[in-house]
Amino acid sequence: MQTVAIFLDAYRELNARKLFWITMILSGVVVVSFALIGINEQGLRLIMWDVPVPFLNTTVMSEETFYKTLFVEFGIGFWLAWLATILALVSTASIFPEFISSGSIDLVLSKPIGRLRLFLTKYATGLLFVALQVAIFSVASFLVLGLKGGAWEPGVLLAVPLVVVFFSYLFSICALLGLATRSTIAALLLTLLIWFLIFSVHATESGILAFKLLTEQKVTALESRISSYEGTLQGLDKDANDQSQRRAASIRHRLEDRRSEVTNTKATLRKIEIAHRVALGVKTILPKTTETIALLERWLIDLAELPAPGNNNDSTFERLAESGAFTPDPEQLQLDAVEAIRGRSVGWVLGTSLAFEAVLLALACGLFCRRDY
Amino acid sequence: MATTNGEYVIDLHHVEKVYRGKVHALRGVEMQVHRGEIFGLLGPNGAGKSTLVKIMMTVVRPTRISGTLLGRPVGHKPTLRRVGYLPEDHRFPRYLTGRQALEFYAALAKVDRRTRKRRAAELLTTVGMSDWADKKVSTYSKGMMQRVGLAQALVNDPQLVLLDEPTDGVDPVGRREIRDVLVELRRRGTTIFLNSHLLSELEMVCDRVAILVQGKVVMQGTIDDLTAQSRRYEITIQGAAPDWAQGDPSIRVEVLSDGQSKLIVQGSEPGPMQPILDRLRGERRIICAMEPVRETLEDLFMRAVTDPETGQVLQPGARTNAGARGPGKEA
Repeated sequence: MQTVAIFLDAYRELNARKLFWITMILSGVVVVSFALIGINEQGLRLIMWDVPVPFLNTTVMSEETFYKTLFVEFGIGFWLAWLATILALVSTASIFPEFISSGSIDLVLSKPIGRLRLFLTKYATGLLFVALQVAIFSVASFLVLGLKGGAWEPGVLLAVPLVVVFFSYLFSICALLGLATRSTIAALLLTLLIWFLIFSVHATESGILAFKLLTEQKVTALESRISSYEGTLQGLDKDANDQSQRRAASIRHRLEDRRSEVTNTKATLRKIEIAHRVALGVKTILPKTTETIALLERWLIDLAELPAPGNNNDSTFERLAESGAFTPDPEQLQLDAVEAIRGRSVGWVLGTSLAFEAVLLALACGLFCRRDY
Repeated sequence: MATTNGEYVIDLHHVEKVYRGKVHALRGVEMQVHRGEIFGLLGPNGAGKSTLVKIMMTVVRPTRISGTLLGRPVGHKPTLRRVGYLPEDHRFPRYLTGRQALEFYAALAKVDRRTRKRRAAELLTTVGMSDWADKKVSTYSKGMMQRVGLAQALVNDPQLVLLDEPTDGVDPVGRREIRDVLVELRRRGTTIFLNSHLLSELEMVCDRVAILVQGKVVMQGTIDDLTAQSRRYEITIQGAAPDWAQGDPSIRVEVLSDGQSKLIVQGSEPGPMQPILDRLRGERRIICAMEPVRETLEDLFMRAVTDPETGQVLQPGARTNAGARGPGKEA
């Protein structure tokens, strides 16, 4: 009875907030824009106009994959995980500072309900804003994906728990700061700052990972080139004519250069690996906001569905010119990075993030339960 | 020693509260409130009145306490189902209507759906807010908020109601109506604990009062008991006071500005007055008036908050440990 009353009160509070309805309208605009965009053999179709796009048409990816990608990348990744989340934080940051304000908290604490239960229920109601928004958005997107793209993909509805969990990481920070500072503005700004820091750690780790993969690619190319040189030298050593010997001498010279270079690159790689381990360690204790949202992409879009790497048939060692200049394969690099990130278990992504949230909630609970009002 | 007397709805012993910064808000409060009475808690600003009420309502955690509320230890949450509370400067969520606010707080007090709807409607009528029941509380005046606040405190049909400044911001008509509600509640057996600065109002309705000064109860009892020492008869006569009166140590004489004199005799019984009246009449003195007089609550309050050594009014605010006051006087 008490829990229902608190949730009903939270719904009334949301209903009274203009920002809730503004966000809802904007979500509607995003879903409608999905419905207005299509894909065909030539490229994109906007309402009734065809826009030829050579790299984005049904020969590159299926209509189903296009819509799923549009939903995951734009609908979730951009709209819900960024803009709508900022609006949600703006809207919910005041929940705890207002809740514990003098004259308001007295009325609630004087009722036969425990402080811990009161705090956790109020915390859950804070997630109601996002839960309602994302539920309506996902159901509408599910219908658009089915009707327009022929992809009746119930996995789309996984966005509801995922986005709520993602928001809960930030809301736990906001709740703790709101309780500690009693200020809506301070709680909001500090939460946004911490979110930015979390994102910076993620970006740093991703950057180091990319650099590590790039270096690994270079090491592989160098080793391929070395083994190619060694094979050529074996053939040339059997031939005693001058031209062959001059060529062998030249190759030996290059072989030495490449061997020296591979040694240096491997040393660099080891340093990068240490840096990556440090960055990953820092990231492990923080909530994985970006990777939580990326789980949806992992579950909805198989790597095989994505456009294959370009028509680049260069063998690995040919990416290393005779002069020693290395040309990386960006598409392979991107695929390797996606695979590396997808290789991280769901348990690690969600488990460590929820552990972070649990620690913050425990601190907030302690603060709420022990304080005099 | 803590008692478990069933007659006490509130039975507090050794209540202490030291806030952070070592502000000693309460220093061993002892207080008993009987079943079915209206009990008034008085005290200057910063005396610790609101802290004491908040401790009973679990809003503030005591440093030390021994005692019961409705027979259960203070802090026992389920007991609060039978307690109503109106905090000072309470704030309802602005997005709720008066009716929704009452129903929300009733639900938190575990009142079932049907009962809370009925009680909310009844109480809104009782406090004269039925016409405003479905308007947002953000449109209410201070007085209206107090009325709905009182209704909120009663929505769970409590056995004990704690009201912190219930008539603050209410007009005289509203104050009278609130008083009538309190008297009616007492008639039905509800115990009421009033925390107010309006001494005249408390005097009108309270059966017993306690005066809290700097975290200690310095006086506690019925207003009659507390003012017993001050009870006296005042006889106003034309002209100067007779010589025999001026020589009688039991009679104090005051000369009034309009040529009249006042004979003041300590005591609350009319019997000892009769010989004095007979003697005055025998001397053909004109008796203008005779009235029994006692201290007002305000006089009592001022006596309580005045330092007997210096005669100065004690400064408001709770003292730190270093400035502890001596033990209080209880009636």
